[in-house]
Amino acid sequence: MKKYWLLMIFILFLTGCYDRIELEQQAYVIIIGVDKTDREGIYEYTFQIANPEVGTSANGGSSEPATEIVSVEGGDILSATNTANAFVAKRMTLDHTKAIVASEELARSDDFMRVIQVATRSPQLRRTIQLIVSKERASEFVNNFEPLIEKRPHKFYQFLLQSGQEIGFVPDATLHRFFQITEGDADLFLGIYTTTILEEVKKNHDGVEDDYIAGEVPQQGGTSTQFMGSAVFKEGKMIDTLTGEETRITYMLDPTVDMENIMATIKDPLDPNFLISYQYRQKKKPKISVDYHPDKPTKINVDVYFVLEVVAIPSLIPYPSDTEKAEKLQQAVIDTLTEKTDELIKKSQTEYESDPFYWSLYVRSAFKDIPEYEKADWHKKIYPNAEIDVHFHVQALEFGKTIKDFDLRNVRD
Amino acid sequence: MRFFQNKKPTKKEKEDQKLPIHPTLTENIDKMKQLFSYDINKDFSMRTLTIQQDQKKGCLFYYGSIVDGAMINEHIIKPLFENKGDSIKNIVTIENVEETTEFKTVIQNINSGKAMLFVDGEGIAYAMDVAKFEHRNVAKSENESVIKGPQDAFTESLNVNLSLIRKQLHSKHLINEGIQIGEKSVSEVNILYVKDLVNDDILNNIKERINDINADTVRNLEVLEQYLEERPYSLIPTMLYTEKPDRAASYLEDGFIVLLMDSSSACLIVPVTFWSFFHSPEDRYLRFLYGNASRIIRLCCFFLTSLVSATFVAITNFHSEMIPPDLLLAITASRERVPFPLIIEILLMELAFEIIREAGLRIPNPLGPTIGIVGALILGQAAVEANIISPIIVIVVALSGLSSFALSEVNINFTVRLMRFIFIIAGGFFGMLGLTGAFLLFFMYTASVRSFGVPFFSPMSPHFISSNDTIFRSTIQKEKYRPDYIKPKDIQKKG
Repeated sequence: MKKYWLLMIFILFLTGCYDRIELEQQAYVIIIGVDKTDREGIYEYTFQIANPEVGTSANGGSSEPATEIVSVEGGDILSATNTANAFVAKRMTLDHTKAIVASEELARSDDFMRVIQVATRSPQLRRTIQLIVSKERASEFVNNFEPLIEKRPHKFYQFLLQSGQEIGFVPDATLHRFFQITEGDADLFLGIYTTTILEEVKKNHDGVEDDYIAGEVPQQGGTSTQFMGSAVFKEGKMIDTLTGEETRITYMLDPTVDMENIMATIKDPLDPNFLISYQYRQKKKPKISVDYHPDKPTKINVDVYFVLEVVAIPSLIPYPSDTEKAEKLQQAVIDTLTEKTDELIKKSQTEYESDPFYWSLYVRSAFKDIPEYEKADWHKKIYPNAEIDVHFHVQALEFGKTIKDFDLRNVRD
Repeated sequence: MRFFQNKKPTKKEKEDQKLPIHPTLTENIDKMKQLFSYDINKDFSMRTLTIQQDQKKGCLFYYGSIVDGAMINEHIIKPLFENKGDSIKNIVTIENVEETTEFKTVIQNINSGKAMLFVDGEGIAYAMDVAKFEHRNVAKSENESVIKGPQDAFTESLNVNLSLIRKQLHSKHLINEGIQIGEKSVSEVNILYVKDLVNDDILNNIKERINDINADTVRNLEVLEQYLEERPYSLIPTMLYTEKPDRAASYLEDGFIVLLMDSSSACLIVPVTFWSFFHSPEDRYLRFLYGNASRIIRLCCFFLTSLVSATFVAITNFHSEMIPPDLLLAITASRERVPFPLIIEILLMELAFEIIREAGLRIPNPLGPTIGIVGALILGQAAVEANIISPIIVIVVALSGLSSFALSEVNINFTVRLMRFIFIIAGGFFGMLGLTGAFLLFFMYTASVRSFGVPFFSPMSPHFISSNDTIFRSTIQKEKYRPDYIKPKDIQKKG
């Protein structure tokens, strides 16, 4: 009996540690780029691997580059990692991948779903991976990674994406959300739009700070990687891009995503030569009520509550002390927001025939079961014909630290 | 094969001991000389004298090394020469005089430091208590130090220890019962309890177990502990060993039983639960919030010391996706040039830490500083610089080692230190799965342990009425009940 026990224990130990792997035997892929190739069903995968020795106190690695970028062709991501191991010394691991970058060319093709579906199967790829669409080829985008300060790639992407999402320039585009929306067969998924190829400065603007898509932001110095705006996916296929401003509006109207605060400007309602900057904070989730009618247009009523903090009044008009003027300002902000929102909603109803706000969640409760809901067809019937009312409500109007501005006449006497 | 044969006292020896005391003095003197090997035993003393009262011959026997010579002079010999009285008891000025008629008791009495007086023509011997065993003075508690609270500790003297306890607990119900154990060298175990609180079943159980001990000698409490416990192979201790009289008193107040022996500078408290090992007496002396804060830290230490190295091994070897990327890259970078697998690294360092601790404990005091230098320099810095150990391992092992000191109770300290190695190996074989399994098994086993019939995690599980002094304690006003798991005669403390 004792012998059998011993045998059992040895078997136990033999089965253990079969998937044990030391940390230093693995290569951590931070970014995966995916491109089309000439051949059907074969894609080019670009892996950016972090060099652990850069940026740590461990000596010896300082002269090495911060990343190693390799490209291989393959059928899917996982088999491509194996192929790459022919010339990458350590075993490729996707556990810590931050983002998948697809070229716009691939994203707009029907093949995109084929490439991305592997992520649902492999436990290696996290559902929190961000989905990024690059204007140029993904391999080019990854190879153009040349940060000046944040040399370590995972830090660079993490910080850039995080700050972009906090201020609303880029959407929260996790793989999880992609599959959720795509499989739900309603709504639009917004991917992060990016490029490293900067264009000539567009002379459009009335000075508005967020009406760009990636590549258009006029910049001097810094890295050339720009994250701005979003790539609109309908049914797993990219159809259009949204600017940073439009992306912010989707944040305002979508209760499933969080946004910290937005700095924005409007024209001074009393002196159009100047701009007024304000901070938009949404403390409460927007309230969405959907009134579904099978035969006549569905009514969607959206109430958005926000705190308005005016931070700069270059015209020196005394808004804080004058209630009437303050009300005018408040109304001007609401009007601007409503106008821009209506524009986006109209575009989505006519052009996209679906919404980027995830509103289909609120109509689902009107149906008995899924087949009935699918029959009602959000994409084709409900949303494009819906009557949508968006109301902005100011919860509080604040004027920052000072109540009274200085009087320019007194200063310059 | 005589070598292995059990050497029982010969028949003659036994008969000698049972022999009654002879009326004539010379017979008795011869007998005593023979019993105690007077001619070769240097410190066995006898003194013949003539008693003033009736001019009878008398003879005094004692061990010179364990009696108070001045006292014999002052209170026995001098009175016998000078005083008059109707009996010996009324002549000598000794507190405690007993009479005996058997050599067996004579032997016992002399061994425990009494002087025996034989008087010619009387078939009895007088046992007079003049014992003076050498012992340390009461000193500051060194192994269980507290900042706030009494500082005194038990010393190797039963009377001193009793006095320290009685000083804390003034009660006529506090009983000190003695049970003699040992065949060849008879020593006494003193059982202390509060008569109107203690549970008689537990008390009788302990007495029975002490009586059942079948050994030539039980020198001290530390040995007694091992004779009494139920599971000698278990990792879990079932008796609390403490050197603080205030702690003993607080347990007595709750109806627990305290064992004392003359030769030990500590006491044993039974029955115990996990919480007895986890608590420190200072928890109760500190104010409610402060005491509980130190308990939280100690709880963290308990988990840290037993699990941190094992968790580190499990996560880095099997679940690298759980580590935040920065930390992951930092660990990876530090391991690039280390030749060993991570688990070997951890085991090496843990072993090194145990070596430092063991060597530091055994090293003679004047050599003490060497341990610090060798330990810190060689095992810390040099090993890292030589790329044998990665710096993060040093942090992890130092953390787990340091935490183990927070559980200062010597038994539980060994428990967690040894369990740590089992956990590390479990974590190294199956990752978190193995670690969880090992911890669960350990936890289940611990919950099944009983100390003198009391479940180890009571009163938390199974639940009993008590003042809920488990992980946290409540304010002193709310502690109304004595722990019900030892079934005290009076459960209500106050209110």
